[in-house]
Amino acid sequence: MIAYIGRRISIAVLILFGSTFITYNLEAYAGDPLAQYRQSTEQNKAFLIKELTQRLHLDVPPPARYFLWLKGILGIFTGHADFGQTITKLPVMDQVAAAIPTTVRLLTVSTILAIVLGITFGVLSAIRQYSRLDYSLTFLSFFLFSLPIFWVAVLLKEFLAIRFNNFLAHPVIDLWWSIGTAAVLAVILTGFVSGSRKRVLITWGLSFAIFAALLNAISATAWVRNPSIGIIPIGLMGVGIAYGVTHTFAGLSNRKALAAGFTSVGFAVGMYYPFQMLATFNTNYAVVASFALLMIVVSYFIGYFFTKVDRGPVIQTAMITAFLTSFLTIVDKFMQTWKPYYENGAVDGRPIQTQGSLNILLKSNDFWINNLDLLTHIFLPTAALTLISFAGYLRYSRGSLLEVLGMDYIRTARAKGLPEREVILRHAFRNAMIPLTTLVAYDIAGLLGGAIITESIFGWRGMGSLFNEAIQGQDLNLLMGTFSITAFLAVMATLAADLIYSSLDPRIRIRK
Amino acid sequence: MAINLRKKSKPQAIEAGETGSENADVQGLSQGQIIRRRFFQHKPAVAGLIFMILFTIFVYSASGIHLGTDKQPFNLPGWWPATITDTYDFSGCGSGCPSAAHPFGQDTIGRDYFALVTRGAEISLMVMVVIGSLGGLLGTIMGSVSGFFGGMIDAVLMRFTDFIITIPAILVGAVIGYKAGNLGVLPLALFLGVFSWTGLTRLVRGEFLSLREREFVDAARVAGASNRRIIFKHILPNSVGVIIVSVTLLLSGSILTETGLSYLGFGVVSPDVSLGLLIAQYQDSFNFAPWLFWWPGVIIILIALSINFIGDGLRDAFDPRQRRRIKKKDFLMKASTRDAVNK
Repeated sequence: MIAYIGRRISIAVLILFGSTFITYNLEAYAGDPLAQYRQSTEQNKAFLIKELTQRLHLDVPPPARYFLWLKGILGIFTGHADFGQTITKLPVMDQVAAAIPTTVRLLTVSTILAIVLGITFGVLSAIRQYSRLDYSLTFLSFFLFSLPIFWVAVLLKEFLAIRFNNFLAHPVIDLWWSIGTAAVLAVILTGFVSGSRKRVLITWGLSFAIFAALLNAISATAWVRNPSIGIIPIGLMGVGIAYGVTHTFAGLSNRKALAAGFTSVGFAVGMYYPFQMLATFNTNYAVVASFALLMIVVSYFIGYFFTKVDRGPVIQTAMITAFLTSFLTIVDKFMQTWKPYYENGAVDGRPIQTQGSLNILLKSNDFWINNLDLLTHIFLPTAALTLISFAGYLRYSRGSLLEVLGMDYIRTARAKGLPEREVILRHAFRNAMIPLTTLVAYDIAGLLGGAIITESIFGWRGMGSLFNEAIQGQDLNLLMGTFSITAFLAVMATLAADLIYSSLDPRIRIRK
Repeated sequence: MAINLRKKSKPQAIEAGETGSENADVQGLSQGQIIRRRFFQHKPAVAGLIFMILFTIFVYSASGIHLGTDKQPFNLPGWWPATITDTYDFSGCGSGCPSAAHPFGQDTIGRDYFALVTRGAEISLMVMVVIGSLGGLLGTIMGSVSGFFGGMIDAVLMRFTDFIITIPAILVGAVIGYKAGNLGVLPLALFLGVFSWTGLTRLVRGEFLSLREREFVDAARVAGASNRRIIFKHILPNSVGVIIVSVTLLLSGSILTETGLSYLGFGVVSPDVSLGLLIAQYQDSFNFAPWLFWWPGVIIILIALSINFIGDGLRDAFDPRQRRRIKKKDFLMKASTRDAVNK
């Protein structure tokens, strides 16, 4: 095994050497960084050209210059890595180091969202194969597959940012709009319900009435201008969540799981006021993290102490319920911050942002306002990226689960009388997720590469836009700085995917 | 959102091979006929296919055929009179909104947008087909050689694949853009095709790895078949489903690659037009001239959507494990017998 990893790593080094060499030369021959000076009419033209030539060693032919660059990079082993300078005399290292956190922040959220949503809906789609829900999700995923991201971005900017910000100034929902929206939302919700036509119609009618009432209440109370949930609705939603989670992961007949779920909700609701108290003082990440940790630990033990046999589903139920309920608590806190945020002079009543990763004019010491600012900036690019990559996860998890569901051992599991929930969650789902590790590994490796188009459209200074800039400006060192990191991660992801795959699936053995 | 798990997942209960009725309606048909029949039962796929055929004919006949380089152009005019370079007086409302003379409207300098969009679609389609077929061909060759011979050849080819994966398409586009100048669209498509076979290679390799261990390959070898014959006559026909499906994915992916590259300025460049370039040029026109924004986007989506549906239909048609779409009558019958057993 170790020999295998060693061999793969040495091959990876060779691949990296090859691809950086090729890229370096391709780019060196493709662009001429001196072009802008050659055509300039400035007096010190010759001097500028000479200066740049010396600084970037442009007099050395590219294949040889590559080794100069490589020498700088290899300093990483002695602690003095030198990625060179950009054309504008900035150290590439600093540029990349500044871009990485931005990119990671942008892509982590959308990748996690895409994975979670994609797998959830993929599983739903597979266990209801050839149902209305399955057909709609299939159509939706093909539709999302077909969208050019910059086209979506324009639409998102227009409808979710500009028009929403206008709406925020006069938050009145027209009667026909609310009826139409409620009807559409009810159709979507009804898609998840199966059964006779009567049942479907009743569900549609009920949810339509509820949505229409909610929308009218939102319009009448100008809720979007000063939103909040409050402890009682959180408690009620928590009870609903507990039912839903128990139904999904343990089954409503598992009374202990249900009781553990309710206890978690009770605990999370009990934490509401302490958390609000804490949040009014100047909070920081440590406080929120310890709140989250407390919820995780307590809900684990709630699940643990509620039963002695078959703890898994009970603990799962308790933890997921606690997580979702305390998530609502945090959302509530953000909602309370919403009004002070958009009334801030720097935001000026237009909270959803279409450009940049944060508002530099916003000078606030408040933890919640600053984070809300990050959220309003990340919202649109995340929505765009999630829409695009969600479809892939949906299709893969659906296909994979369907393949597993056709296996003999699933038939065995059903034949020995296991409830369908156990068959799917314990026997099918886990095995179906194995092939997805490859996809996840590549996506995580792609995190640092950034999203070239998305970052450019939304004005984020991340790795993707840096790479784009480097190519546009023929900035060889900057290009290589971003490229070498991306390529390194891509090669490592291939290796990691192979190793994880073989450790998860005992049928696949690495050739020693 | 309650997940109703109590419902036994019905379709899996019926396996294609087990129900006698499944074989009855395909008896006496060749493999090709079965596949064709299954494909034509997939309505979205048929709709996609019809759309693609009609759309291609429409676009090429409207805008004519334009090949060759700037120096030696080969032009065959189409039935639409307007060209992509001439500017026309604004008809209809002053800003060039769609009118009888210019059904798709006019762009900001008065060019006929119908001509631009049809030419753009034509070029996007061509780029898509070139990338798809070149990538498909290379991917199939690389994947089958790698999977069939295994060992050292496989290791070298797979690491070469890893190497190609690391080189980003945008860089290829940039290099061609800067170095080769405006060679036109075809060289761009060819170069992109040369770099887009990696995904297919992995899939085909996996398919070959499992197929070459099967008994029918051993049988062929014992009978004295050469490697070439085994590859082309025995294994390749069995993996053609995987290949066709991923080629359709490659096709729909490459039209998006082209639009993305053109958007960044590394793909198709002016004076050529493509759908991606049109969106990139008119992305700010959403409020004052929405037709400039909607037409190219909607057409890209329609093309990619139809191709994805065709791919889905082909997958259903080729996959022997694919269960037949269950008719309601069959399902009810099956369900009632099952419930009787359960109770």
